[in-house]
Order: sequence, then C-alpha cells, then structure tokens
Amino acid sequence: MPTMADLLLQGGRIIDPASGRDHAGDVLIRHGRIAEISKSSITADEAEVIACEGCIVAPGLMDIHVHFRDPDESGHHDETIATGAAAAVAGGFTSVCCMPNTTPSIDQATVVHAIAQRAAVTDLARVFAVGCGTIGRKGEQAAPIFDLIEAGVVAISDDGDGIADAAMMRTILGLVAATDSVFMQHCQDPTLTRGASMNAGPLAARLGLRGWPREAEVLMIQRDVMINRAIGARYHAQHVSVAESVEAIRAARADGQPVTGEAAPHHLLLTEAACDQWNTLAKVNPPLRTQADINALKEGIADGTITVLATDHAPHPMQTKHTDFASAAFGMVGLECALPLYKEALIDDGVLDWPGMLAMMTCKPAALVNLHHLGLGRLEAGGPADVTIIDPEVVWTVDPDQFRSTGRNCPFAGRQVSSRAIATIVAGRIRDHQLADRCETAVEAIAGGM
Amino acid sequence: MDTRTTTRHLLGLRDMPKSRILGLLEAAESYLPVVKGQASPHDDLQGHIIANLFLENSTRTRVSFSVAAQRLGATTIDLLGSTSSASKGETLVDTGRNIEAMGVSAIVLRTSASGGAHLLAQHVDVPVINAGDGRSEHPTQGLLDTMALTQHLGTTDLEGRTIGIVGDIAHSRVARSAAYALTTLGADVVFIGPPAMVPGSMTELTGHDSDGQSVLHVSHDLDAALPHLDAAMMLRVQFERGANITSDYAAHFGMNAERAKRMPEHACIMHPGPINRGLELTPDVADGSRSVILRQVTCSVAMRMAVLFEQLAH
Repeated sequence: MPTMADLLLQGGRIIDPASGRDHAGDVLIRHGRIAEISKSSITADEAEVIACEGCIVAPGLMDIHVHFRDPDESGHHDETIATGAAAAVAGGFTSVCCMPNTTPSIDQATVVHAIAQRAAVTDLARVFAVGCGTIGRKGEQAAPIFDLIEAGVVAISDDGDGIADAAMMRTILGLVAATDSVFMQHCQDPTLTRGASMNAGPLAARLGLRGWPREAEVLMIQRDVMINRAIGARYHAQHVSVAESVEAIRAARADGQPVTGEAAPHHLLLTEAACDQWNTLAKVNPPLRTQADINALKEGIADGTITVLATDHAPHPMQTKHTDFASAAFGMVGLECALPLYKEALIDDGVLDWPGMLAMMTCKPAALVNLHHLGLGRLEAGGPADVTIIDPEVVWTVDPDQFRSTGRNCPFAGRQVSSRAIATIVAGRIRDHQLADRCETAVEAIAGGM
Repeated sequence: MDTRTTTRHLLGLRDMPKSRILGLLEAAESYLPVVKGQASPHDDLQGHIIANLFLENSTRTRVSFSVAAQRLGATTIDLLGSTSSASKGETLVDTGRNIEAMGVSAIVLRTSASGGAHLLAQHVDVPVINAGDGRSEHPTQGLLDTMALTQHLGTTDLEGRTIGIVGDIAHSRVARSAAYALTTLGADVVFIGPPAMVPGSMTELTGHDSDGQSVLHVSHDLDAALPHLDAAMMLRVQFERGANITSDYAAHFGMNAERAKRMPEHACIMHPGPINRGLELTPDVADGSRSVILRQVTCSVAMRMAVLFEQLAH
C-alpha cells in the first residue's frame, strides 16, 4: 500500500456546523487527521492539492438509518456491507448506521463483531451497527442491550417494526437510559396497519389497497413519550411521516424530554400521489403521505423539532417491485441521491441554508448516536479527516443503473437534481470522487490507498 | 389518434368515457336475443382463443365469459389458480406472457391482487379484460349491473336517480366499478353499510358534479335511505376477504320483504351473486317481483359478448 498522501483542500467554502465555522479557506489533511483549517492559504509542498473553488468543504456526512442486508444467512444479499459502503461514499456519506433487521438480526455481540470485521475489510465508509431492542426483533424478549453496547452498537432499535408492547417498551427505555444510548423507534402500531400498503385515504380506497392510517404513527410516539416521562431515555422517532407526529415530538421537547425526530428524502418530496397506477417504487414504510404532511415536516425542520436527516436506504431486488402493489416490498434506496434531494426540499424551498442542512447530516446525528466522542460529524484540527466536498450547483439526472448500491428501487429515477458530493474523504483518504478537473495530479494516485 | 389505443384493454370503469359505456350498453342489448336463444349465434370471433386466467376462483364469472365467447364463435381455455403455474410461484406477469406466447387473442384475468389487471396490461400486447382484481375493479360486472338497471328503468339517462349499494363496500370491486359507471351516466350513488365497511373516504372515489358536489354519498342507515332509492344493489359479504360482521348485520343492513315495501314502487333489487341467503337478502325478496337478479345473469353474457367484440373484432 502506498503511503497516504497529505491532501490540501484549497479555496473551498468551509462549513462546520458544530463550531459555526463558515468561511472560505484551506483545509490540510495529514496522516488521516485534519492538520489545519485556515482562512488564509496554507502552504504544504508535499500535499496533493484539490481545488475546491465553488465547492463546500463539509464534515463527512452521516446517515444514521440504512439497511445493508448484511449479514444475510438466506444468501440473497440484496446489498452487502461492501456495496452499501460504496453507495455511501458515492453519495458523500462517510459514516452510516445499519439497522438490525438482518438475518440473523443484530441482537447479540457476535453479530456486531462480524459487521465491524466486514466493514474493516471493505474499508470505505465507517459502518456502525444499531442493535435490536428485542431478540429477533420479535418484541417478546429484551435483547442483551448491555452486551450490545459494549460490542459497539451506536443505538438500539427494532426498526422495521415498532415495539408494540408497552411494558416491553418501558423495559427497553430503562436499559437505553442506563447505557446512555438512544432508542430509535419505528413508529407503527401494528394493530392499525394489518395488510396496509399505502396511506389511508381516498387514493388507497380507489386503488383497492388497504390504508395505513396516520394514527398508527402518532399513537406510538405519544405512548412512548408518556412512558418515557419517568425514565428520560433519549428517544428518536425514525422516518417521521405525518404532521401530528411532528406536533407530538414538538410537545415532548417543549416538556423537556430528550426526544428527536428524523426525516427521509421521500417523505419531504413525494406524496401518496406517487402510488397512483399502483407504482410499487413508491411503496415505502411508513407510506408517502400528503402535501400538508410535507409542509409540517418542513416546519418541524425549520424550528428544530426534526433534528436529523436520514435516508432509510432500503435496497430490494427489482423482482420484489415488479409485482402487484400489495405484494411488493416496502422501501427505496437513498444514499446516492439523498444530498441533492434534501437540497431541493430544504434549501431550494428556503427552509434551511447550507450550514443548517449540513448540521442535520453531520454534528446532530453524530451527537445522537454518541459518535461525536470520536470526533465525527465536525471539522476540527486534530480530529479525524472525514470530509465531504460538495459542488452545490452541479446539475445531474438520477440514474439508478449508475448506483454502486445493488438496489435499483428508486422512485426518483430520471429526476433532474442539483448538487453532488464530488469527493468523499474518510480518515484522510479519498474513497470516492468526481474530481476530473479539480486535481492537478492523477486523482487515481490519490485514491490509490483504496 | 388510433381509436384502438383508447379502448385497448378493459381494466376499469373509473376513466371510461360515457360514450364508450353507452356503446357497450347498446351492443350488449343487441346480443340479448342470441343469449336468450332467440337468434343464431355469431361467428365474428371465429378462430380466436380467449384465455380465462382465473387466479382466484369464480365459477360464475368464468362460465359467463366462456358462454359469451362461444356465442361469438371463439373458443376459450381455462387456467385456474389451483392448477396453473401460479401455484408453483410463477408470477402473474410471467404466466400472462407465457399464455400470450401461445397465441391467445385475449386474456380474461381474475386475481386477488388490486391493480393486477393494470400490471398485466403493462407487460402483454394482447387485450387484457379485467374480470376482477382484488378490491380495485370488476368492470364487466359494473357494466352488466348498469345494463340490468337501465333496462329495468327503461332509460340510460340516470340524471336524478339515486342508487344504493349496500354492504361491504370497502372490500368490493363490484361497488367501485358499478359506482363509476352509474355516476358517469348521471346517477347519485349512496354506499350504505356499517362504518367499518363504508369508510367516509369512499365519497372521494370519483370527481364531483358540475356544482362541485360529490356524487357519491355514505350512509349507515339503510332504513332512512330506502324511500329515496331507485335501486338497491345488495353486495355479498366477502368472508373470504376477511370481512367481519356483527350479529346484527342482517337486522340493520339486510333486505327483506318489509324493507322492500318501503322502496318506491318502480325500484328494483339487485345482487351480483353468489348470495348469502338470509344475510344480504331474504329468499323471498331474492326470488320476488322486485328482484332483477336473474336479469343480471342474462345481461352478464350479453355484456361480455359486447366487451369481447369490442376488444377483438376489427
């Protein structure tokens, strides 16, 4: 392996939401760490120079909600840690947190260790595991949460399912509080969603599909907030989809509870109308809702109720989408087009500026899953050199056939978007890039450490 | 525009123009003498093979399509859910494409999947005729019900008429297709049943009339609606689709002689069959003077002849 080159990121707009830094200048990366950040030019003769004029130099993006389908004892491997991590760095993400609905599920330390090992071999993005709340995500028996945390999981969740049993929820929140972890709830009361495949309402009635009522989400958040009052665990509502959930989270936060929420690109840009003509690419859990819900999510983002942007990247083989709507798989891939989609929904619409949006993709998720202790989610001299260089203007068309992910299930195929991560640097090494005109020396040489 | 493209397939009635509905009603009426054995069968579709792909069981609908095909000189083959490759895990699309490759002229599809007919039509070139897909649509049933009703009323102009569709609306493709056709011809439709079977969102299935009013209505009170109805379509409670009824269902939503008397004199009672006798309607009403249930069955063959002719004769 060649010696890791020093990198000089020259002349970009440096945005570090954690510190409030937002100025033009240079960033020097040496030995995998950030050596210097300066408003003025940095001279470093040995360093490879990357011209960053017109670009944003941001902390490496973090996605705390992805599905990499690994391990998968069934052998299907719809995605692996290798393909998922490649998709992550292609989309500008330097760190991802994998949800535990794998086979086997992430409910014991050995599975956590196996994931860490595969991530190390892949050596692209940093891949973290989220541990189950209950054994096999069945909701019946609490998982060994002390063990899981010790093994390195960054959060607890039964994602894919909400924890339906209130007493079980109380047990798990207690364990999460005791380990200073965070519980990420998939907010879905299963008794209200039997057989459901899209938002409840006139369109579902017309398409002959069982409706997924909005109450199914809100009721679980309200219940959990009530249970958590006496416990005070950090509680995070995943992929919030309806306006009333935003209100419930807002109320809990006003009451002083450590409650947060996340929003996915599809819930910010698409309504249930995308499901018309039984379009299975638009089938997702929780389902696409209405414009009023999109508006409420944006208000929640603007006022800080929703603190994290996360993709819920969910690869599926296309044969599970080439079927009738009710039988089709839930979910869509998101890593490789999330950044411009968030930009379209939030910056182009005037909800946030770049620092505000990047905060929701860097320091805020990092703090939620305790990765700020590793210095992730920020740009700081001496800290790990996880950096994403973003061209905020470049226009391109989403083409799932170009994805590094094995998943092609993307309802945004063909959409013209703007902004893109043009280089993703993890621990000082370029893991993915579109740097053709911006680097004097052969970029492949820089990336040679891969 | 090639007129074939606008009438390609028969997937549903929601977007079917009034002119096409009226054309099918007229054509079907012209076939009635053939259906009744009063005129010679036709041979317009001689040489055509029509595939009945019934992934969900329905003897009545399948036989009706077969009789209709034979009256037009076509032959049919039946592929049933339990015996076809569908039970071996082959997908609907694969099955359809295989049948098409054998040279059939049209596929009549019955499936439990909502949107299944639409899915198949995207993947085959031959006409797809939806014989019921999940809870979505059952267009030939909606058309034949409309035919039986307009024959009974003596007019295809349903302006000012009110039709009650009673029972398990939420699960019913028949209710949806009938409501689309009837409202296109000008009628108001009232969905009547207990709240779980008739959710409020059912009023939004179609657009509104010229005054911005919904032409679909929801009621949970059959007795209150009876005096206003020109027809009551009693739907089968579909236990096989998970319908749950309370023990007082028949008492509140069943048609019986006493309720029938409270309908206007000209009003008729319909049922798409098969009947749960004693539940949706009592036997005396089913076989009584207001019932047009057997007329519906006769119309079913005539209407399916009209549909097959529309799709295949050119």
